[in-house]
Amino acid sequence: MSKHKTNRLKTTKLIGPMVDKHWADLRTAKKRGEMVAWCSGPMFIFPYAMGMKCHFMAGYAAYAGGRGAADDLLKIAESEGDMLDTCSYHKAHMGMAMAIKKGIPVREDVLLPMPDLLITGRLCTEMSHYAEGLYRRMDINVIGIDTPPPLNESLVPGLEKYCEDQVRGSLIPRIEEICGKSFDYDRLIEIMAILKETCILRNECWEYFKKIPSPWTLWDYGVSIAPVFYMMGSPDAVPYYTQLRDELAERAEKGIGAIEPEKYRVYWDGWLPWGFLGQFSRKMTDLGIVPLVGRYPWEFFPHPETIDLNGDPIKEFVKQVYSNGGLAKQNLPNMSLPSIQKWVKEYSLDGVIMFSSKSCRMWNLGHPDFIKAIEKKHNIPGVVIEGDMVDSRMNSFGQIDTRLEALAEMMAARKK
Amino acid sequence: MDKKPIEQCMEISTNPYDYLKKWKIDNNKKIISCFAMNIPEEIVFASGMIPVISWRSDEPVTMGHSHLATFNCGLTRSFIDDLVKEKLDFIDGIAVNRMCLQAQGLPFLLEQATKMPYIEYLSLPALYDDNVSYNYLIEEFKRFQTGLEKVSGNTVTDDTLNNAIDIYNKNRGLLSEIYELRRKNPGIIKGKEMLAVVHSSMIMAKDINNTLLEKVVEELNNRKQTLSKDERIKVITYGGLCQTVNSEILNIIEDLGMVIVDDDIFVGSKYFANPVEKNGNPYEALGNRYMKKTPPCPTKGDYRTDWTDYIIEMAEKNNAKGIISLMIKYCPPHMCYYPDIKNKLAAKGIPEILVEVEHEIISFEQVKTRLQTFVEILQGV
Repeated sequence: MSKHKTNRLKTTKLIGPMVDKHWADLRTAKKRGEMVAWCSGPMFIFPYAMGMKCHFMAGYAAYAGGRGAADDLLKIAESEGDMLDTCSYHKAHMGMAMAIKKGIPVREDVLLPMPDLLITGRLCTEMSHYAEGLYRRMDINVIGIDTPPPLNESLVPGLEKYCEDQVRGSLIPRIEEICGKSFDYDRLIEIMAILKETCILRNECWEYFKKIPSPWTLWDYGVSIAPVFYMMGSPDAVPYYTQLRDELAERAEKGIGAIEPEKYRVYWDGWLPWGFLGQFSRKMTDLGIVPLVGRYPWEFFPHPETIDLNGDPIKEFVKQVYSNGGLAKQNLPNMSLPSIQKWVKEYSLDGVIMFSSKSCRMWNLGHPDFIKAIEKKHNIPGVVIEGDMVDSRMNSFGQIDTRLEALAEMMAARKK
Repeated sequence: MDKKPIEQCMEISTNPYDYLKKWKIDNNKKIISCFAMNIPEEIVFASGMIPVISWRSDEPVTMGHSHLATFNCGLTRSFIDDLVKEKLDFIDGIAVNRMCLQAQGLPFLLEQATKMPYIEYLSLPALYDDNVSYNYLIEEFKRFQTGLEKVSGNTVTDDTLNNAIDIYNKNRGLLSEIYELRRKNPGIIKGKEMLAVVHSSMIMAKDINNTLLEKVVEELNNRKQTLSKDERIKVITYGGLCQTVNSEILNIIEDLGMVIVDDDIFVGSKYFANPVEKNGNPYEALGNRYMKKTPPCPTKGDYRTDWTDYIIEMAEKNNAKGIISLMIKYCPPHMCYYPDIKNKLAAKGIPEILVEVEHEIISFEQVKTRLQTFVEILQGV
């Protein structure tokens, strides 16, 4: 029996039904005569503003993984020729599309209607490959928006202009054409107002990660991401984060930690293992390890206070991706290492875990060097854990146990 | 006796390290490594430096794995490994194009693993149907030029750039001529030799390489006189993005009774396709070449141009009986495309086989068995 106890939050229990409702609405949208878009990257705000129902690539794959349906989708994709090493998010979509096209039976709750429009935000080049693959197989309208991450600050203005020009020059006119109406800038501003309010509340919640013991974990935030991202503009978002903040404040006041006793506070890099959150959580809890902060969960609009609701809404949104944002910046290790170094002190971290997804090369380049740099500056240890976001074949839990135990031992030794 | 031109190409391709070290001493010019596809080398050349395409060594990766995981492509791992082992100390700078996630993460590794004085990161755009991508591309080229001018101490003028374009176009023309000789005379040059000929162009200063390639053409024309009709089964290869495929695989293909009549691989026809069409503005001319949609490049985000159709057309033009997919292990742009190629070829009844090209080849025998089966299928067609 574990020596450590998990105190589950009441508020996060609300998120499951909210997310289920989001995907159920999407599944039934066509029956109600609504148009559907699929998106990768952050550009779904634009079809949302036009009243379309939206899918988000990583959100869907995480949802399918969390529901235990990813392995079936991956098998279908591989039976069509996809490779074992191909991005599992990409394959989950190819599997779902082929299931629809060929009538291959899969769970109904992970089937989506084919979209009227597919937008790729090419923040990651594989997001582009997913749109290309779906176009070839399903002949869907595609709008490509290239959003390269900057290597350094000097490149931000040029890339921001490039992104903004594409949104104005390509995205908006094509959406207007497909929807047969003028773009709804008023609704765009409304969504951004909700996003701003939600993210300001979310940032207040982030402050509670600094408390010792921390009243919540990165996993709690992970399951709470949807309202600040792909459920952007939802009327449920502000009430959810208000309740979450209030619950965290109450816990902090009473000194209640998410894991008790809290032994080690760690940074988690890379994707969250959406299909295996429970397994990882139990393993870390058994060792008293509490994941608190990570650059991927931190990329979702970290500076909402900079959104000017009286400004040009397109410019304001693009700034959230580039100059005022984390989305594009956190994707390259050059831009994210300084943030991680800063977080070590801010969040009183004892160690770092680099989750290296075998099918995704977005975050793993740089992991060994991150550990060396952080160890050199702060004298805290780190480990690389290899696995996958949703592909169960790529997680070797025996090896993961050993790595986590090694990390716990190193942290214990350094704390003496 | 002097070595024959193709033999010289083979030597340079096999050991670019010694060749470039000596060349640098003899010519006193800086060397910029270009990682890997679609970088406008002409701008580097015009700045008075020499661009070389980053290559994969034939050594297993060892020390490099202290910087990146084993599940990255051979080129990325091998390049870092070579840098850590100080095998590339003669390089003065590295330009990386964001072709894929591995290239996207590479600059950080370069900063950590080396003390390289110049690292440039280009985000050349996806080929989307708008002027925005093109305008941004031209700005990227000019930014690249500014950085190169600082490193080289030389100014890039329209004249120097146009001169570089002429030299590069001549190189493309010579390589095209060599490919045409192979198309018309299958078997005139072995796959391994052709790989070395193209690779030599990626390593050598193009003006010097032009002289060598002229001699290669001459050598092949002489071979033509003695060439008997090649009765082997014609195949084409495609894939092999960013890096040299292991030449032993090409030997196996030919030893089994097939002859490579054409290819769509990077160290092959992809590299020299499309001359730059000069129009008075060299940046726009380079931009127009980059924006061309054929040969299709799966790293360029062009969803409309069908790579499979291009390969089929190549096979039909050359009366090839089969297609060999040379897929670099852990190459997402090709991996994501592959199911569509495989299924479309199958639907059209065109035989195709996949060979995954690993940096550390585990078993040539396994590759041989697969290709042997493919030959038997082709013989039955």
